[in-house]
Amino acid sequence: MTLQGVTKRYGGVTALDNVDFACRLGSIHAVLGENGAGKSTLIKIMSGVVSPDEGIITLAGQQRIFQGPAQANAAGVVCIFQELSLIPDLSVADNICISNPPRRFGLIDKGEQIRRAEQLLARIHCEDVNPRSRVRDLPLSRRQMVEIAKALSRDPSVLILDEATSALTSADVDHVLSMLRKLRDEGIAILTISHRMHEIEAVADMCSVFRNGLHIETFAQGDRAARDIVQMMIGREISAHFPQKRTFTPGATALQVQNYHWENRLRDINLTVGKGEIVGLGGLDGQGQKELLLGLFGVLKKTRGTVRINGQAVRITSPQRAIRAGIDMALIPEDRKTEGLLLPMSISDNLALASLQNLSKGIFIDRQALSSAIEGGIARMQIKTGSIEDPVSTLSGGNQQKVVLAKWLMTDPKVVLLNDPTRGIDVGTKQEIYRLLRQLAEEDVSILIYSTDYEELIGCCDRVAVMYDGNIVRELQGEDITEHNIIASSLNIDEAVA
Amino acid sequence: MSDQKTLWNRLSAEDRPILFAALFVVLILAIGTAYTLTTQGTATLLSPTYLLQQLQVGAFLGLVAAGMMLVILLGHIDLSVPWTVAASAMMATTVGGPAAIPVGLSVGLLVGLINGFGVAYLRIPSMIFTLGVNAVVRGLMVAHTGGFAPQTAATPLMQYLAVGKIGGVPVALIVWAVVSVCIVLLLNRTSIGRYLFAIGNKEAAAFLAGVPTRRIIILAFCLCGMLSGLAGTLLAGYSTKAYQGMGDAYLLPAIAAVVIGGTHILGGRGRYLGTLLGVILIVLLNSVLSIMQMPEAGRQVIYGSVIIVMLLVYGRTEKVTQ
Repeated sequence: MTLQGVTKRYGGVTALDNVDFACRLGSIHAVLGENGAGKSTLIKIMSGVVSPDEGIITLAGQQRIFQGPAQANAAGVVCIFQELSLIPDLSVADNICISNPPRRFGLIDKGEQIRRAEQLLARIHCEDVNPRSRVRDLPLSRRQMVEIAKALSRDPSVLILDEATSALTSADVDHVLSMLRKLRDEGIAILTISHRMHEIEAVADMCSVFRNGLHIETFAQGDRAARDIVQMMIGREISAHFPQKRTFTPGATALQVQNYHWENRLRDINLTVGKGEIVGLGGLDGQGQKELLLGLFGVLKKTRGTVRINGQAVRITSPQRAIRAGIDMALIPEDRKTEGLLLPMSISDNLALASLQNLSKGIFIDRQALSSAIEGGIARMQIKTGSIEDPVSTLSGGNQQKVVLAKWLMTDPKVVLLNDPTRGIDVGTKQEIYRLLRQLAEEDVSILIYSTDYEELIGCCDRVAVMYDGNIVRELQGEDITEHNIIASSLNIDEAVA
Repeated sequence: MSDQKTLWNRLSAEDRPILFAALFVVLILAIGTAYTLTTQGTATLLSPTYLLQQLQVGAFLGLVAAGMMLVILLGHIDLSVPWTVAASAMMATTVGGPAAIPVGLSVGLLVGLINGFGVAYLRIPSMIFTLGVNAVVRGLMVAHTGGFAPQTAATPLMQYLAVGKIGGVPVALIVWAVVSVCIVLLLNRTSIGRYLFAIGNKEAAAFLAGVPTRRIIILAFCLCGMLSGLAGTLLAGYSTKAYQGMGDAYLLPAIAAVVIGGTHILGGRGRYLGTLLGVILIVLLNSVLSIMQMPEAGRQVIYGSVIIVMLLVYGRTEKVTQ
């Protein structure tokens, strides 16, 4: 399968830029890159989920344009996605055979379906999964194995794995890796995305590094040292301008988290944020950073551990509590469209939502106080609006995010949690947000920010806590906050790299 | 024509249905008047007596619709209205005396509290939960009355509120007006009102902004139940007694009035003025159809078609794909 000159844009963002890429039958090809390097877009294009804006895809010598995943599947391109695509309430066998169930007299042949599922599961050493059990009842690692079996049932000639091993136990990983080798020997082309370097070293024949939507280099596995690979993944200067960090003298601790657990996604987190300090959460996507922020804000149930605000132990069981006087937290959520804003409602309604309590006299809203608070919020964030009664959906992404920030600034928070606040935002607004964060810090507000953009962590944060698998694996401070160190800790590879 | 089009486009998504409903009310009056002029030679429909009488009848529906609107704004629905109305009426007449009206309201409040609890805390979809509550209340009332028409009568105060007049204006209409003013204030001038819209738009976002979502949901159901209770109490006064199934005729028209008035059936958007017009539209439509001596079957067909047509014009949900 080859791609020539493939380009894909999302709005103003170029996710893939004129990419040439080839993967050959009978080889295992690993794709490496940072968050947002274009790996996922590459896979989506190859498996027909999205179609490229430009470029040619050739499969077995024929030019193909897939109109959807079904067509790609039919052509033998099968993808195992990060997000599980199983239907939880159907049985394992139903799921495995969902796209092409065996039929008898036009009806689905249940017995044959179960036999087929058993065969496929046996192929990946998963005999312990009963094809009759519901997917919902299986643990995550077993579900991932069912997903792999389902992909195999489609008889692929090109098999794509998007971090398919991240949820697996190490025994399962061994099974999957040996299965991949077997499939390769049967002549299948395998493309795998993984952040686990040792797995890549164990199975890959070829490696390709992506960065910023560009295909940087392809080389045979073993030709490059881990150090060079990391360098290739970074490969650029810090370009954005960040406001000057102040020489930070650790003041009083504002937020202290001790032995914090949540289910098995957060494990034994210990973290402090001082007054006026900006602490970044780093690491690859999905290592528990979002959960930590949500947990602190009282969204998650059954968290364990101690949270102290200014030395006082507090129990924050809901966002309502988190915003109360004495705790004064604010959370800028991940997805402004579904969590941060009420899109059809007006700009002023959105701005006012979090501070209505403080702006009411008795049960009635103090309209004067409200409108001056709204004016203040708009002025502070320099939101470009027509009328404040226009729906917030009419604003640009950057201005929408400013509305979210202004909404929380109007509550006068002391601890601000931010979940990837600059995603999908233009550069200009990003800079304004960086300046704002620094300004808040100078006003002694404590800031805990998760970002998928390493540059941002380096440029903004006084300290960066890198998370891996629900745990803080390393804290970087001052001069140690480099892209090298963050990536190395994110991948949890040895210090030798750093 | 082009001017009209731009005017139409200038109107917000909330204003369009209101204008449309208002035009439709005028249209109904025009058709009805044309009919009476040709058959009887009089313009009965335009006389103040007739209009006030229609508004008096509309008051009962208006009270129910006001409560229903609060719940629909949240993106929920209250299907327990029919028997909340009936139960309030029955309990009010059973108790009698000065306690009659407070008891009627309390019954409604209690049903609303149960609905709200089920929806907000037990997280049962309101469509199912309130339907179940409706059946339970119905069963309780049948047990209470032994399945016969209750022999109790409405108190004089209930009758006064329902059919009395102050200076030619029906008291029921005044009650409706007072409730309407309260609802408008609630929706526009209090944080509770803002929260209702916020939750209806996106409960998750409202929750993350620190809105006490569960309390607001319970409150909305309580108000809806209480207004149904008020409607039931007045209705018992209107007919001087309570009877089985007296609330049955109020569920669909109440929902229709809210939706015709432009409140989004999935919540988050709507204006109370629209609900008022929706109620008037439905009451007039019914009345004009009966003046025209349309048989019941035909009335049902026209009634349903009008609702569908109104919704076709502006009530459609967005497409799944662009």
